[in-house]
Amino acid sequence: MRDAPHVLAPSSAIGRATRAWPFALIVLAAWAVLPAFASRSVVDILVFAGLYTIAGLGVSFLLGQCGIVSLAQSVFYGIGAYSTAFCATHLVWPAPAGFAAGMAISGAIALAVGWPVLRLSGYFLALATLALATIGHVLFTEWDWLTGGTLGIGGIPPLVLFGIPLNSPQRFYYLVWPVAFVLLALHRNLLHSRTGFAMRAMRDAPAAASVLGVDIHALKVKVFVLSALLGALAGSLFAHYVSFVSVDSFGVDRAIGFLLLAVLGGARTILGTVLGALFITIMPHALSGFGDIHAVLFALFLILAVIFLPDGFGGALGTWFTRWRERRARP
Amino acid sequence: MSALLEVREVSRSFSGLQVLKQVSFSVELGSITGLIGPNGAGKSTLFNIVSGFLDADQGAVIYAGTEVGRLSIQRRSTLGLVRTFQTPQVFPHLSVRENLIAGCYKQTRSGLLANLLGTPGSRGELARMQREADAACERFDLSEVADRPAGKLPGGQQRLVELARACIGRPRLLCLDEPSSGLNSEEVALLMQTLQRLNRDGMTILLVSHDMDLVSVAAVIHVLCFGEIIASGPLAQVKSDQRVRDAYLGV
Repeated sequence: MRDAPHVLAPSSAIGRATRAWPFALIVLAAWAVLPAFASRSVVDILVFAGLYTIAGLGVSFLLGQCGIVSLAQSVFYGIGAYSTAFCATHLVWPAPAGFAAGMAISGAIALAVGWPVLRLSGYFLALATLALATIGHVLFTEWDWLTGGTLGIGGIPPLVLFGIPLNSPQRFYYLVWPVAFVLLALHRNLLHSRTGFAMRAMRDAPAAASVLGVDIHALKVKVFVLSALLGALAGSLFAHYVSFVSVDSFGVDRAIGFLLLAVLGGARTILGTVLGALFITIMPHALSGFGDIHAVLFALFLILAVIFLPDGFGGALGTWFTRWRERRARP
Repeated sequence: MSALLEVREVSRSFSGLQVLKQVSFSVELGSITGLIGPNGAGKSTLFNIVSGFLDADQGAVIYAGTEVGRLSIQRRSTLGLVRTFQTPQVFPHLSVRENLIAGCYKQTRSGLLANLLGTPGSRGELARMQREADAACERFDLSEVADRPAGKLPGGQQRLVELARACIGRPRLLCLDEPSSGLNSEEVALLMQTLQRLNRDGMTILLVSHDMDLVSVAAVIHVLCFGEIIASGPLAQVKSDQRVRDAYLGV
């Protein structure tokens, strides 16, 4: 889907924004009261949707705005989680240190690996990131002195905010979603900026973008590092939430899940990431009642979504909204 | 007049085939200079070497008194050496206005962090880019299609978008690769007027074309044939040159 054209704050846009307020308030109110009515397991799923939104945003941004297919996000997610687990249990450092360590290590690895690897493009780049995910998973398993190997690391304390331990899905829900929305807002800023236009130019016609003065390689590396930081942040939050991390959570299937949510959600839209994350967390649970065939049904839904919504949920929603607005604008 | 661009004894071969043989020519500051030649003459190779898409095996590319032969494409662009492509390279999923906003990239400075945080500086910069893009839309008669995706426009308008996007960065040397290909005679006439206007405004233009009507806007024309410059001068002089007539015009 094409992003809405930018206009210098025309009066109609201001009018639209004013009309959108009540709708936004209803969504906000529904979000705020949901944990009071929903069951613990439903809120737990929504917490995971929030975590996947954060990690998936990095993948989605790389794919939708830069045209880079990354399957490496599970590695950065794992680094974030293990850093937090190691700092909190072995070193007994405060939580912010775990977050900082995870993001610093992920950022440094993304820079060191991304610099050579991002000279590749298309399928070769996708395969290189898949190799990174595989190597990461092997190291997470083999370096058991650091990661606990297949046994994992347990006893990670919950985050404490204003003296309240976030030790239940209901409490964690009120942390993870605001964090996700702040990050979505920051990425929206980025999209509507000099760098955002350079990224989309690079995605559409790399040769022409470099003629405009865009250092394509450097820009790709920067966005890859940013994506890795999001992966690490989500991983650290995940570790504090589940209090136990093991290698099973950071396999190639997780990497595919992050890519899947970006594709299904519609990587060219920011909101699509949220929709994609909700889909890949809610749908398997919703279908679990069908017993053995639930995995087949999920696959069927994926195929149908890709066939009928090639621009993802976000793209389809955007097209529908544009048509609705045009219909209303007609006399 | 002094030379803004000087190509000195540039050679290039591909798999043993010598495509350019010690080619030398210059583009005077403030001029429109044409580079013509039959298919396979080496025009595109030479053009790619000047703009940084290819390296020369030997020789030097001097731009504004500096050797730029080893500089990256974007570095050359930042210095004011900008090119267009034989097949117009618009950003198809961006609107025409967004294409032009992207064209303002090198005139702006804010970094990724400031853009992420949406600092007032970053927002102000985007507003300036939008104003520039709107002004360019008017200047190049693109206002009516400003909100349409550039990839959905007809070829002639895509070429105009590419030209407008190249000009918005205020290049010192604008290199145009076959800008009239795919245009009808009316559009070519309009393009000629546009190039003359840009030149009057102080832009130096290097025009690679096989279109004799279009290159008539050039004060000096260099004729490239089988990797060598065989004639240089005003159009009338070049047209009457026996070697050019034999090799290129076929008359």
